[in-house]
Amino acid sequence: MSTPPDTPPPDKPFMNAYLAGFILGLVLLAAFVFMGRGLGASGAFTTALAASVHAVAPAHAEGNAFYAEYLGDGTTNPLKDWLVFEVLGVFAGGFLSGALANRLKLTIEKGPRITNPRRLMFAAIGGALMGIGAKLALGCTSGQALTGGALLNVGSWAFMMCVFGGAYGLAWFLRRAWL
Amino acid sequence: MIAPFYKYGMFGEEMSLVVAFVIGLAFGFILEQAGFGNARVLAAQFYFRELRVLKVMFTAIITALVGVYLLGRFGFLDLSLVYLTPTFLVPQVVGGLILGAGFIIGGYCPGTSCVSAATGRIDGIFFVAGMVGGLAGFAEIYPDIEPFTKITSFGHVTLAQMFHVSYGLLVFAVVVMAIGAFVAAELAEKFVGRKEPGAGALTGPGRKLTPVRGAALAFAGLGLVALFAGSPYRNAFARVDTKQLALDAGNAADQVAVTELADWIVEGRNDYLLVDVREAAAFATYHIPGALNIPLATLTADFARRNERIVFYSDGGLHSAQAWFLLRSLGFPAARMLSGGLEEWKNSVLYPLAPAAGAAPRDQIDFAKRTAVARYFGGAPRGAGNETVSPAAPALPQLKLTVPATPATDTPQPVKKKKKEGC
Repeated sequence: MSTPPDTPPPDKPFMNAYLAGFILGLVLLAAFVFMGRGLGASGAFTTALAASVHAVAPAHAEGNAFYAEYLGDGTTNPLKDWLVFEVLGVFAGGFLSGALANRLKLTIEKGPRITNPRRLMFAAIGGALMGIGAKLALGCTSGQALTGGALLNVGSWAFMMCVFGGAYGLAWFLRRAWL
Repeated sequence: MIAPFYKYGMFGEEMSLVVAFVIGLAFGFILEQAGFGNARVLAAQFYFRELRVLKVMFTAIITALVGVYLLGRFGFLDLSLVYLTPTFLVPQVVGGLILGAGFIIGGYCPGTSCVSAATGRIDGIFFVAGMVGGLAGFAEIYPDIEPFTKITSFGHVTLAQMFHVSYGLLVFAVVVMAIGAFVAAELAEKFVGRKEPGAGALTGPGRKLTPVRGAALAFAGLGLVALFAGSPYRNAFARVDTKQLALDAGNAADQVAVTELADWIVEGRNDYLLVDVREAAAFATYHIPGALNIPLATLTADFARRNERIVFYSDGGLHSAQAWFLLRSLGFPAARMLSGGLEEWKNSVLYPLAPAAGAAPRDQIDFAKRTAVARYFGGAPRGAGNETVSPAAPALPQLKLTVPATPATDTPQPVKKKKKEGC
């Protein structure tokens, strides 16, 4: 039976996990070789947030030690930042790859037993926890686990074990969300 | 050519942002290819159904780990210049646990949520929004919890330094551990996830040497090499490019003029280190404002980073030239020395000589400037009032120097305000 013409072409399968990991490792290595630093993600959002707060309430942002650190000394635009440009690239690269693999889709990824509003609430709560955790740990899965892991950084390995530990520890309680 | 390119000044900040975008592009592309734009794929990791997170992450880690080791070991990458996030053990353990909770509740981590949002996943967009909210909340409570974020500080430290084992041994151990974890992950997928391993798996059907198995063997082999090949950091054995050194010395590219240095200090430049290699007693009697004292006998490679601009000086030029040679051979490409040393500093900067009466106006103007600079450093011009002083035999009673009452410039080099390099 032939496929009806209005059916979109099927998604391409994901890349072999080991091959994807190898290429990701080469990207990380390129960051080390070119820049002397690794990958990151959460820091870009902090910079963007600090710049936004500064635009709306300059006194509040400058008076807050946390924001002040991301705003720099005021001589340069804080958004002219390495991580900000890197994360813009992540969005662009993700979009490009999704487009090439026919995976661009306005949808909600969730388990079969959870409602859409509940899934979105969980996503936002998870995101908020990530934001807090990443700042406490000085990095997220990209900046700490991946980058620090490859550099044998003590804190990164402790962090990585705890990320897996925390997620596995709660997995049973959240089985209705995913399975 | 030596890496990291950016830190050795091979391209500037504007270009670094282009590099950032390109690296991010590749990062996002590969995350999406790996399936990490999809929360179900990521969450399956924690139910032992599909362990792509572990496979991708640890393959990336061992690839970069072995790569960094080899590039460092063979002198292409200066590993000491690759930024290492400082370790604050307890905050990082707590942060990791919170992040892990966020992972299983929300289904993403910060990087993967970007890819998810970019491919139209509404849950990914909510996750990003929640993350920004969490960051804002963290900023508000930060003043109260700041002391906690700074406890159990260990500085920039690797596992090799912490546990006093060789870097190569750890490279080998991590590679072996990762391959073991991959096999365990495939077994979990087989028995929990009911997914038969395919040709792209280590435990796939048949006994043939598939590309994946070959790669695993190659990594194990490189791990073994690392075990015996020594430290990836540049060591104390000197390596000299004699041609380059001769060229730099010949065309005086290895020197900084005293007037140039004086201008740097007056301008408040802080992109260089000024190092006095004389003995501590001589240093205490007089030194150029802002100088560090590192007597020649104690000079090692660990007082500065290799990409730092360093200017050495001594009384004349002999000791500073020796220091220059030492550091150049230890791989500091931007080490230079003060031309003529302290003697020249006194003669030209502290006590500049007035030009002869009929000198060109340009010389007169230049002298006025030098006079101002001399006063700034607590010196005074010689032969002012246009009396003729023979430069060959200057009467220099003032050269018995005490510490001139300099303006408050005699502070240690101001620490450069660097932007955060971490996440």
